Amino acid sequence: MPQKKKDAPKHRKVKSLLVPKKATVKPKMIQKKKAAAIRSKKVVVNAKSRRIMRKPAKPGAVEVVAEKKSVFVPTSEPQPVYQTAHHVHHDSDGTQLPHEYREDKMILQVRDPWWLYVYWEVKQHTLNDVRNRFNSHFQGARFVLRIYDVSFIHFNGKNAHRFFDIDIPVESRAWYIDVGEAGRSWCVDLGFRLPDGTFITIIRSNVVTTPIDGPSWITDEQWMIPEDKFAQLYGMGFGLGFGGSSPSGKMLIEQLKKGGLKMPNVSSPTSLSSPFRGFGKDHKQKNFLFFVDAELVVYGATESDAKVTVCGEPIALNGDGTFSLRFALPNGKQIIPLEARPADNSDYRSITPIVIRETH
Amino acid sequence: MEKGYLCLVLHGHLPYIRHPEHENFLEEDWFYEAMTETYIPLALLFERLANDRVDFRLTLTLSPTLLSMFADPLLQNRYLKHIDKLIELAKKEVHRTRGQDDFHPLAKMYLHDFKQSRSTFLRYGKNLSHCFKDMQDRGYLEIITCAATHGFLPLMDVCRESVRAQVKVAVEHYKGVFGRGPRGIWLPECGFMPGHDEILKENGIRFFFSDAHGILNGTPRPKYGTFAPVYCQSGVACFGRDLESSKQVWSSVEGYPGDGDYRDFYRDVGFDLDFDYIKPYIHPDGIRIHTGMKYYRITGETNDKKPYVPHLAREKAAAHAGNFLFNRHRQVEHLYDFLEKKPIIVSPYDAELYGHWWFEGPLWLEFLMRKIHFDQDMIRMITPVEYLDENIRNQVVTPSMSSWGYKGYCEVWLQGANDWVYRHLHKASGRMTELVKTHAGRQTFGLPERALNQALRELLLAQSSDWAFIMGTGTHTPYAIKRTKEHLSRFNRIYEDVKANRIDESWLSHVEGVDNIFPNIDYRCHQ
Repeated sequence: MPQKKKDAPKHRKVKSLLVPKKATVKPKMIQKKKAAAIRSKKVVVNAKSRRIMRKPAKPGAVEVVAEKKSVFVPTSEPQPVYQTAHHVHHDSDGTQLPHEYREDKMILQVRDPWWLYVYWEVKQHTLNDVRNRFNSHFQGARFVLRIYDVSFIHFNGKNAHRFFDIDIPVESRAWYIDVGEAGRSWCVDLGFRLPDGTFITIIRSNVVTTPIDGPSWITDEQWMIPEDKFAQLYGMGFGLGFGGSSPSGKMLIEQLKKGGLKMPNVSSPTSLSSPFRGFGKDHKQKNFLFFVDAELVVYGATESDAKVTVCGEPIALNGDGTFSLRFALPNGKQIIPLEARPADNSDYRSITPIVIRETH
Repeated sequence: MEKGYLCLVLHGHLPYIRHPEHENFLEEDWFYEAMTETYIPLALLFERLANDRVDFRLTLTLSPTLLSMFADPLLQNRYLKHIDKLIELAKKEVHRTRGQDDFHPLAKMYLHDFKQSRSTFLRYGKNLSHCFKDMQDRGYLEIITCAATHGFLPLMDVCRESVRAQVKVAVEHYKGVFGRGPRGIWLPECGFMPGHDEILKENGIRFFFSDAHGILNGTPRPKYGTFAPVYCQSGVACFGRDLESSKQVWSSVEGYPGDGDYRDFYRDVGFDLDFDYIKPYIHPDGIRIHTGMKYYRITGETNDKKPYVPHLAREKAAAHAGNFLFNRHRQVEHLYDFLEKKPIIVSPYDAELYGHWWFEGPLWLEFLMRKIHFDQDMIRMITPVEYLDENIRNQVVTPSMSSWGYKGYCEVWLQGANDWVYRHLHKASGRMTELVKTHAGRQTFGLPERALNQALRELLLAQSSDWAFIMGTGTHTPYAIKRTKEHLSRFNRIYEDVKANRIDESWLSHVEGVDNIFPNIDYRCHQ
């Protein structure tokens, strides 16, 4: 194994709560399987749900119901789309998988930065229990998925940053959830929401974290690269060309922030190539160059053996207990929670600088 | 003195398809086709280069399922029958095309190639991995492994024991074939989930690959983008795919394989020729299939395909190799100045692109590697380990969860057509963990040990991401569903039987004979 670990720079890992808006990635399709020409079948309709997310005014307050347009409810087993004549040896020998495993279980998975997939099973017994417990109040109860944003916290059921509900049919056993924002952690409850707003959890899923959908806001001091240079590098990494004066990477990142950009893809022989060859050709800027950017440095001090976290992630202190962190500072609001505990965990402090940048 | 490095990677994989219960099984053909059109031509290519002392470097994934099929006597013998049939067809074709100037030389070319395939196959004792091992021992190839059955690891993350098993079984299998542990791995579909690198580290793996956005969206920002590897927190290195060079080969619009002079994939004699004539060489049920004998070139955006002219295609391949190298020079020159560091360009491709999808692929590769060796010195071919040994200091970055599948994450394997499998796969994983917990502590031998090992085999086979992929593309879907259900059902039965202490020996023996992959598997890997 390399000894590089000793030489590797002191890595201060920091997470920003602000992440770029959603972008859809459209890269390559791998062709693997042969026989006749392959037509890719669009089976899933992933409609975006329009949903309003609001932080509850106080714990337990009524939250907003999600509006959903069309929704794809996956069935538990596929129906073969066709039977090809030569698959006679594939005659069903009656192999069937269990419809259920007779347990209360909910599993949440990440599909991509903006979509989750959750499946579950609830024993009839469990459902009946809940119904009986609430008896008459159960009139008008809605069967609901409640999706909690639990980024950077230990979720105790009440301390989510925010949540939203999706009304679902009682017979559903799985759902695709559009969370809209990348780089967050999520947890899902299956439950009933009574007409008076009370929410009853039936089962709770595991926690998952989605990836970010653009470049990280965090830079490592010892591996610094200026913003505009990184933008170019980013563009080159996506095959946008490597002309010396091409700001195509910067534009790509800007577009990502606005959301909705299809990222350049690299395709296989049967799908389309990148649509972005044209980028950068209009930018014949010349003459007077004037470029301004801003970065943020957050620094502080504590006891040298204390434990400090930034945005929930532990950071390394200098030998004398000081620390200094560097953040890219885009336009908008940066919320940076810092927490410190002494070595024996006997105390706790929290300070959260909030920085707002605008550019005029 | 070079200004940059080129790391070519070929990913060789096929799902484990072996049907002793049927004489002729359609999906088994994928293996025979790949042998004739990709893996034997690659072996011959490496031989030629080595003979001419071309100091080439290539990183080659040979997945455990592919290696297992290389080594399986049933498939070896079936391949021999397959190539013999092709030789017979080619001989007939030589006769049939005797008057036709356009096609006769092609028929002779195929006859020659098929005979050469046959003799190469026998020369390596019917097992091609002998050739690749030799090339690795001589320093030309870095052979890396892949997950045991190509399971898509990010969607297994809820049960890390299964991720561990997929990696550990692959590593142990690799040791059996190559005499040492693998130094690198190709994660199936480049599917990376942060934290999985710890599992790689546990198994002595030094590097893996991710798609470009895995590194570019990594935390913190990578100073050198995809043009240098990064270390994960665990110390395992991650190399990011270069899309610029990938595009030149993969893209259907601007990529090389779409050129009009190259051989057209779809005009195969299996479809073109008279039914009665071709019947012995297609599927016994009368289904027309690809034979591998194709007489036309792509020509252009037209259905009127012109006859294939080998020397034109060859010249094109040489020109394209030159063009690729020229573009890499420009890329490297620019990056060398921009980064103030020698960039590494990582160019991974599916191995089957070379030869099977793109007939002239191996030829292009040969031209490229010769040109790099003889005609220039700005770029050096390199393997990841060589790079890491020479470039010790690299940035620590946590790559983003990512894959090289369509849309860059998990959607290909998690969509309406295939999402139903996961509740069953996860349940089975949980049960496997339960079995291991119950039994691993004490000594198991005899029937229970066999059953537990077979249970893991069935679970791994069910987890092949190939099934979900096939369900997603919509061709051969019934086969993929059948495989998934069969392996899960066998697993569940073994699970019940072991728990109830009533293992049916004759049934177990039968299943062991059918799903015979990884003979030395140890069920304790799954924890």
